Amino acid sequence: MCILLSSGGKSGELCDARGVNSTERRRILAAAALGRDAGHPGPDPEGGDPLRAVSGQIVDVSPHLIIIDTEQGVEERLVIAPWATAWHGVDLAPGDLPIGATVVIRALRDGKVAERIWADITRMTGAILSVEGRRDLHVELDCGPHRGRRSVLIPYRTTGRLRVRHPQLEPGYLFDAIGIRDEGVGHALLPATSQPGHPARAVPTPPPAYGGAQQRISGTATWSDAFDCDERGAAYPMVERSDAACPDAEVSCVGLPYLAIGSLLHIRNVCTERAANMPIVACGCMAGRFCDRCVECGTSPRGRIVELSASSFVELGGELTKGCFNARVGLG
Amino acid sequence: MLESQLPILIVLLALGTFAKLATVHTDSEPGALTRLGPAVLVPGPLRKPALVCCAVGELALAAGLLLTTHPLFRWGTVVFFALSTYVLLELRRRRPDAGCGCFGEVSSTPVGVRSIARTVMLTGMALMSVWAPLPGMSGVSWWTLAGVVVLAVLSPELEEAVDRIRYRAPCEQRPSVESVGLAKLKASSTWRSHADELLSAEPYDSWRELCWRFFVFANREKDDVVFAVYLTGRHPVVRMAVVGRDDTDSMPEYTAVSA
Repeated sequence: MCILLSSGGKSGELCDARGVNSTERRRILAAAALGRDAGHPGPDPEGGDPLRAVSGQIVDVSPHLIIIDTEQGVEERLVIAPWATAWHGVDLAPGDLPIGATVVIRALRDGKVAERIWADITRMTGAILSVEGRRDLHVELDCGPHRGRRSVLIPYRTTGRLRVRHPQLEPGYLFDAIGIRDEGVGHALLPATSQPGHPARAVPTPPPAYGGAQQRISGTATWSDAFDCDERGAAYPMVERSDAACPDAEVSCVGLPYLAIGSLLHIRNVCTERAANMPIVACGCMAGRFCDRCVECGTSPRGRIVELSASSFVELGGELTKGCFNARVGLG
Repeated sequence: MLESQLPILIVLLALGTFAKLATVHTDSEPGALTRLGPAVLVPGPLRKPALVCCAVGELALAAGLLLTTHPLFRWGTVVFFALSTYVLLELRRRRPDAGCGCFGEVSSTPVGVRSIARTVMLTGMALMSVWAPLPGMSGVSWWTLAGVVVLAVLSPELEEAVDRIRYRAPCEQRPSVESVGLAKLKASSTWRSHADELLSAEPYDSWRELCWRFFVFANREKDDVVFAVYLTGRHPVVRMAVVGRDDTDSMPEYTAVSA
């Protein structure tokens, strides 16, 4: 994800200055100035057999083998594990997935054995701008300054299910749903959270911090499909507005410390005990507006701390259709 | 005695005006106004004008009380505080989470009995001043001091201010301005000893991580010179390193530290 810096005489794309990844460069420069170890992005080895996320388009699929064409144009062949399940709006057998669907696969054994497959999955997170329609609902979402606006269709059969968890389906309130992409339109099928009771622009203030900042912060980690395909990284709400050129940043109901695009985060999935170091690659201004909890394993403290790319979320053991996991985050 | 409370009313009205205007002016965090005062009772787009209107009204009353003995301003003040009492009661009933916003952002604690008692008290003071023979600040006496003490006891803002001083957020969570960091860097001895090696006095990249702000410059050999400035203190710690453009790992050629 490229962020264009435009403040204070800085210009150019953050992700491509002099052919070096600038987020990585920042980490190296900061480590040099402070005399610390720069750290390396990637999974912690203690989490057991590492998971790998593979994404691409299905070229061919049978009950035992799936062939996909990745973003880099490489054909990957994965064996489908006997216990594997797939999701394409509903749970189904992997062999029934449609050819041509875009999939994210959770794979074992160096990415050779497919264990869970999500096809055409998308997540619609934003503030509601308008709601139209009587049977099928058309919702216009504001997904933040970097992500723009998005139109979402709520099919009649899922309106009840979504409305139960989104009682305030009206402009100004937050919306977060998971669904499938069909001909370029997102169809909302599952609520990804219980809608926070506050409007998008009235996020509660964090509790006062007594006696210094904490080393590790607990809360919710979610995923978003606004990252580049196959990108590993996180969006973090508490980045300086001028640094990230993000006018809606610095808002969170958790007392988060200021970090920058390029800082390395240590993210632990408390539910699966998997952890990884991950760079901040984007401003998480929309995630910061959600003051909700994750109930994936126990009830997490309030507030979204990070928003991960789908690949990173899967590699930390997250289930895309559940939408979140309880996380503990510190500086890597 | 009748004119003894006039100075308090004038000062409070003026303070209220400036605090409200300052809150509107520094509405940097989107949505901050949605938690404050009677503004929450009006629709979103009208919140700022409502707060400004209230501030201007208070300023007019303060000026009127200071300069004239005209009953319009005297009774206007009584009506203003009586109305405030009603608005606070209504606010407490409809939005128990919202602060009164009486003195802008510092009055963000939810409206309680004390805030309401304070406006009742102020209504009483205003009513007493209606028949005061003199305008303005001429009536300062021990009665004025007594009034100040009673109002201080009824003000939750004072406790809020004390708490803010005692429990200041750690510097990792405090916002900081990039230009202040740059000014601190340029005032440091580390900067002075390396400034002439740099191609430009303006950094080409800058970011903040926890309590440090980093500035990156290019030097004549086209290497990166990175300065890290600690964000607290008048003469903060400044660290620097030179990193070759092709270095992909942290291998500083040299590191200097100054305090």
